[in-house]
Amino acid sequence: MTDTVVNNRLDIREWVRPSVAISISAVAVAGLLGLVLIFAIGVSVPDALSAFVDGTLGSPYAIAASINRSIAFALVGIGFVIANRANLVNVGGEGQIAVGGIAATAVALYGGAADLPAGLPFLVPLLAAMIAGMIWGAIPGVLKIKVGTNEVISTLLLSFIAVWLLYWCVQSPALLRKPMTSSATLPESLEIPDSTKLPLLTGDYSFPVNIGLPATIIIAIVAGVLLSKTLLGVQLRAVGFNSVAASRAGISYARMVVLALGIAGALGGLAGGFMLLGDQYLLKDGFSSGYGFDGLVAGLLARGSVVGVIAAALLFGFLRSGGINMEMVAGVPTALVMVIQGLIVVTLAGAAYFIGRRS
Amino acid sequence: MRDPAQTLTEPLLALQGVTKRFGSLVALSKASLDILPGEVHCILGENGAGKSTLCNLIFGVHVPDKGEMRLRGEIYRPTGPSDALASGIAMVHQHFSLVHDMTVVDNVILGQQRGLVNTRAWAQRLERLANDYGFALDPYAKIDDLSVGERQRVEIVKCLIREPRLFVLDEPTAVLLPDEIASLLAICGRVAAGGAAVVLVTHKLAEIKKAANRVTVLRGGRVVARSSDPAGEIDALVRAMIQGDVKALDRSAASTLGVGEPGRVRIGDPPGETPTPEAVQIDGLTVIDSQGVTRLDHFTLAIGPGEIVGVAGVEGNGQSELAAVLSGMLEPSRGRVFLGDLETTHLGPKEITAAGIGVVPEDRHAVGCIVEMSVAENIFLNRLDGFTSFGFLRRKELVHAARDLMARFDVRAAGPDIAFSALSGGNQQKAVLAREITLPNLTFLLAAQPTRGLDVGAVAAVYGHIRAACQRDAAVLLISSELDELMAVADRIVVLYRGRIMGNCAADPRERERIGAMMAGQAQ
Repeated sequence: MTDTVVNNRLDIREWVRPSVAISISAVAVAGLLGLVLIFAIGVSVPDALSAFVDGTLGSPYAIAASINRSIAFALVGIGFVIANRANLVNVGGEGQIAVGGIAATAVALYGGAADLPAGLPFLVPLLAAMIAGMIWGAIPGVLKIKVGTNEVISTLLLSFIAVWLLYWCVQSPALLRKPMTSSATLPESLEIPDSTKLPLLTGDYSFPVNIGLPATIIIAIVAGVLLSKTLLGVQLRAVGFNSVAASRAGISYARMVVLALGIAGALGGLAGGFMLLGDQYLLKDGFSSGYGFDGLVAGLLARGSVVGVIAAALLFGFLRSGGINMEMVAGVPTALVMVIQGLIVVTLAGAAYFIGRRS
Repeated sequence: MRDPAQTLTEPLLALQGVTKRFGSLVALSKASLDILPGEVHCILGENGAGKSTLCNLIFGVHVPDKGEMRLRGEIYRPTGPSDALASGIAMVHQHFSLVHDMTVVDNVILGQQRGLVNTRAWAQRLERLANDYGFALDPYAKIDDLSVGERQRVEIVKCLIREPRLFVLDEPTAVLLPDEIASLLAICGRVAAGGAAVVLVTHKLAEIKKAANRVTVLRGGRVVARSSDPAGEIDALVRAMIQGDVKALDRSAASTLGVGEPGRVRIGDPPGETPTPEAVQIDGLTVIDSQGVTRLDHFTLAIGPGEIVGVAGVEGNGQSELAAVLSGMLEPSRGRVFLGDLETTHLGPKEITAAGIGVVPEDRHAVGCIVEMSVAENIFLNRLDGFTSFGFLRRKELVHAARDLMARFDVRAAGPDIAFSALSGGNQQKAVLAREITLPNLTFLLAAQPTRGLDVGAVAAVYGHIRAACQRDAAVLLISSELDELMAVADRIVVLYRGRIMGNCAADPRERERIGAMMAGQAQ
């Protein structure tokens, strides 16, 4: 019997499990199957491919759009991984993005954030987004420790509530809907003031990547360090593996559950804040557009690794952008991109299963 | 130790050079063994010696990798328990397989008959059988209402009704009261007298003295000794089993095996010379569970500093609830607990630890440790915050301190970074003890079933550490279902029955019968 060494260091090998080669081949296999499907529905494969490449890497703007999507996926995914250390499954990213977006809009438009001194006009709405997401995430935690509600159910149901809350906010003039000047006024909020928009990294609108990118990189590093180097990381792990033994050892189960889900929620809220303040600039129905669920999948596929989350988030971000362009230019339905994304999940999960069986 | 009887009688079952591997582990290596009709043949060995593997090979649960088995001279190669049963081999497993909502007779009929069932005829057969073997059994009693000993009799009857030629019992006495053990051994004797062979697996020598005709000793999967005069050669058998001298063995550990006189080895001053304030005061502790059943009923006890009080009783009589309340895992329905002047009744585990209460939980894997985490993390699990600065874990320091404790408590592992699951049960328990006993302000040590599943060497080490804690003036509460263990380690014993204290007596071997009676619920 060989001894298993518990790996505690920030070990690069742990960060890129399951083996990179197998992950890449799984993605390649899924991509090939996608091409077969495109061929089968009668679209010229070269046209579709060139549209895909144009939509992802074809222009600085396309790259920036892909990165902005990836940021949201990554934040939700990192939150998922943190909660998962405590053996919790947060499927509420979608709702956390929505409440984050609502809070950021409200503070940016009506909270007086625009007139604050330099930096604060966008930092305060971001903070509001995080707090809103944190509360939305912590509620299932409280429900779990008080009455034992399974967090998978409660985070999911709270997502639906948040999505409809957002609908209500943009439909009701008493809430965030812009003033009704005519019957044709769209159900959306006013555009946020310029000072509350996130600064662009290059200052150039043809490459609209904002400060969300460096912020997300920093958050990823902090999350990696938190999980591997701090007492909190060990305590989350302890609760995740054996909550009874952890609690006997004085690690509060209640505190860990609320904290882990709260952090995951805060990151989801922040993702919503970045999307609103850095990309969309106004709130409308369907704002969260399924990003919460894509982020969840990124977190799931990463199997506990923060670097894995980043990789999966980038993959999905570029895939989404390319897919949209394929639809517009080559007439490939977006649904097909969803199918390919699903295929990637299945092949990666299958590959992971085989890796697990082999070792 | 060649057995002359072997030449006279043809063996019922003969194993020749049987080897069984599980992965890289050799569970049984070239074991040869003859079982004669009409004998009680004991298989003796420590945990992990290969006893259960041997039983499972005979019963067809596993197939041997090498070697052969012969039943009455013919090759015997069972591929499952049904083959074994068809060949006249029956087995009582360590864990019972009874349907709790059903009656005794229904459980016996299960798997024996198809189609229409004449329950009354079966019940009559059962009663006759029980009568023949000298015990009583109500065929229409529900399993739920039976004691553990009675449930085991149901298992035995399930086997005997098949009139087996070979009857295998795997560690049958672990869960029984003293008089139930005597009755079980008597049944084994009767079965053998009827011409069948009985294979009795055990690690208790007292049973061998009483019941065995012949003994085979296993160690590390090999047959290391045989004897056809077990009562006369007991010392040699123990030496073979543990590969050491009985004399060198810790006296208390030896007595739990049934070797030597049970008797406490007292270190330090005898208690009670100057009246000392009680270290622990438990007042009328009562636990009523969610179903309204009273699990612990007005438990009252005072423990002085440096005193070891044993709690005896068959498992499931309130011991778990008592331990859970004292360790801060369960809120009692009534009653109070004081540690010196500090009331700890409503404190959580963290505060309990901070107050200086060390806890060795009965269920090591569920409560005592986190097997997926490292040895170092486990050994300091309740005070990891002592190794942090600004929230960061000072891992080097943690590993270093863990290495020290591992050396002091003889925790054998490849290193502090090894996963806890890679340790043997004994080493895991030593690590848990190390964590709980080295609490800087230890005033009360609660140890529940601390030696369960450990081999003799580890048992001796655990006793040594418990005594060391008591020498440092900690009060110790030792909960154990092994009466010998309590006799060997405790100063005095209280007996729990259905959540109540049935009585209080000295840890004196002469009290054994009285304690046995109280464990069975008879007030003394």
